Amino acid sequence: MSTIHNSVLVMHYYRRFIVRTITYITFLLLFFFQNFLYAQNGEQIFKANCATCHKPDKDFTGPALAHARDREPTKEWAYKWVNHVDEMITTDPYAKQLFAKFNSKMTQFSDLKKEDIKAVLDWADSYTPPAAPGGAVKGGEAAPEDNSLLYGLLTLVLAVVALILLQVNSNLKKLSDEKQGIRTPNPVPFYRNKAYLLLAVIVVFLIGGYFTIEGAVGLGRMKGYQPIQPIYYSHKVHAGTNQISCLYCHGGAQDSKHANIPSVNVCMNCHMAIKEYTGEPVTTDEGISINGTAEIQKLYQYSGWNPTSKTYDHPGKPIEWVRIHNLPDHVYFNHSQHVKVGQQQCQTCHGPIQEMGQVKQFAELSMGWCINCHRETKVQFNDDKGNGNKFYSIYEKFHEDIKNKKYDSVTVEKIGGTECQKCHY
Amino acid sequence: MLATIVLFSCNDRRHPGRIYMPDMTYSRAYEANAPNDLAAKGINYLPFPVPGTIRRGDLFPYTLSNDSNGYKLAIDIKDPLPPLDSVGLNEAHRLFNINCAICHGPNLDAQGPLAGKVGGIANLKMPQYVKEPEGQMFHVVTYGKNNMGSYASQLDRRQRWMVIQFIKSEQAKISAPKDSVAAGSGTTKDSTMAKK
Repeated sequence: MSTIHNSVLVMHYYRRFIVRTITYITFLLLFFFQNFLYAQNGEQIFKANCATCHKPDKDFTGPALAHARDREPTKEWAYKWVNHVDEMITTDPYAKQLFAKFNSKMTQFSDLKKEDIKAVLDWADSYTPPAAPGGAVKGGEAAPEDNSLLYGLLTLVLAVVALILLQVNSNLKKLSDEKQGIRTPNPVPFYRNKAYLLLAVIVVFLIGGYFTIEGAVGLGRMKGYQPIQPIYYSHKVHAGTNQISCLYCHGGAQDSKHANIPSVNVCMNCHMAIKEYTGEPVTTDEGISINGTAEIQKLYQYSGWNPTSKTYDHPGKPIEWVRIHNLPDHVYFNHSQHVKVGQQQCQTCHGPIQEMGQVKQFAELSMGWCINCHRETKVQFNDDKGNGNKFYSIYEKFHEDIKNKKYDSVTVEKIGGTECQKCHY
Repeated sequence: MLATIVLFSCNDRRHPGRIYMPDMTYSRAYEANAPNDLAAKGINYLPFPVPGTIRRGDLFPYTLSNDSNGYKLAIDIKDPLPPLDSVGLNEAHRLFNINCAICHGPNLDAQGPLAGKVGGIANLKMPQYVKEPEGQMFHVVTYGKNNMGSYASQLDRRQRWMVIQFIKSEQAKISAPKDSVAAGSGTTKDSTMAKK
């Protein structure tokens, strides 16, 4: 009886303990969650309203927000400022001081309440920058080793061993023949053996012929050409990481024969504001590390821009980029016809340009390469929705043929894309 | 054998390699984007259009000057283009995505890929930009403002107006359903500003 009573007591005690613990944990969780919600809120307001001009941890267009309240004249100053910028910019001494330093006036946010501003500033005070993207990982990857040289050497060694063994074999045979009294004619030395000589001539002829033809075919083709440019301009950083459209800088590709090289003012559209490179470390293919900020300084030298005074204070000069893709002068090529009319992606001919640190010629740019694409590419006719190109409306006959199931599609070749005079005239 | 060595020796990626007939490969005429010595030779050569001429079919030039006075006067400039049809708007959208969206964001909310790198990007969804007169917008796209550069070399006058029509049509989408009253007050404010 007493044991039963005891166990009931113990159970009761445990139950109370568990319930109490759960309550504590719930309260603790609620507390943290509330804090978390609060921080999220601050970050959200920051991103929606402030992030274009402020950073939490460093000066940007405006001052850093972290511990702004400690720097300001009073702890309440920030709350008043955000709602009364237009008035305070002319009256408040601290505001005037900030204006002199940053040289731009903040937009007034009359709608932000004190709690909102407090949430943003609290969030900024507790902000820790995310860890820098792994720099150590980069550059450690070794290129896959080319084993063909090793295999070639091995083959050569084996061939020599085989030759020696053959020689030894024939000598042994000769010895045993002599012992048995069979007389054999004096052997011809291998360098006068006609079969060996013929074999050697054929091998030299084949190897020589192969390299001669390869070299002759390669004449005038510059595939893989990757010159050193006056500025280490990385297409990987611009078109890859920062997702700038190719046509932002090379807009001529849709309007004219040439995909123009952008003039320096196009660079300065962004680089008036972007003065330093803070992305992943950049290294050349040889493993030399590139200082992106120094490369931007080179751009300022060319453009005549002074980043401190924010004016063009010395004469600029054009950047002499080295031309990579060069079709022979007897070939006509028009970018707009391919980009605008044919609706080709730049990457079709220029390769994965958004992954190239230094640009190299991706395609062969040989006539066979051109013709092959013209045979395979399907023409995008104007469809009912107005997509495709109206230029081809003159090829009504093909529409009829497609409708009559004569073809399933029309390649560039069928509309005259392999006529000689299209490109050579 | 000698030919083989000669042909095979030029296989360096830093050099453009050799060609059969240089006179058929390298242009004798001056090529685009390449330097020329015409001016040094005393040959009459204009790298720019003759001042005062207008390209056939182009809009009239924008004459307001690049200063605060020009910016003020730009309030009265009106869009010379007729309202765009859907094909025109699609083209304007494409131009916006190429030239503007890297900073102003595909949704006009200043969240483009360069946000956080370029400072002071205008959030085109904010009331002051929704209310901004189209003429002032054109002035800013033409000459640049603060951290924004001039887009006159990338977009011609017609394209700039097309992009502004696109932005205005997108802004109308966000402001219209919320409160028609605010939009009304915006127009009265603009007209008073124009009177000054």
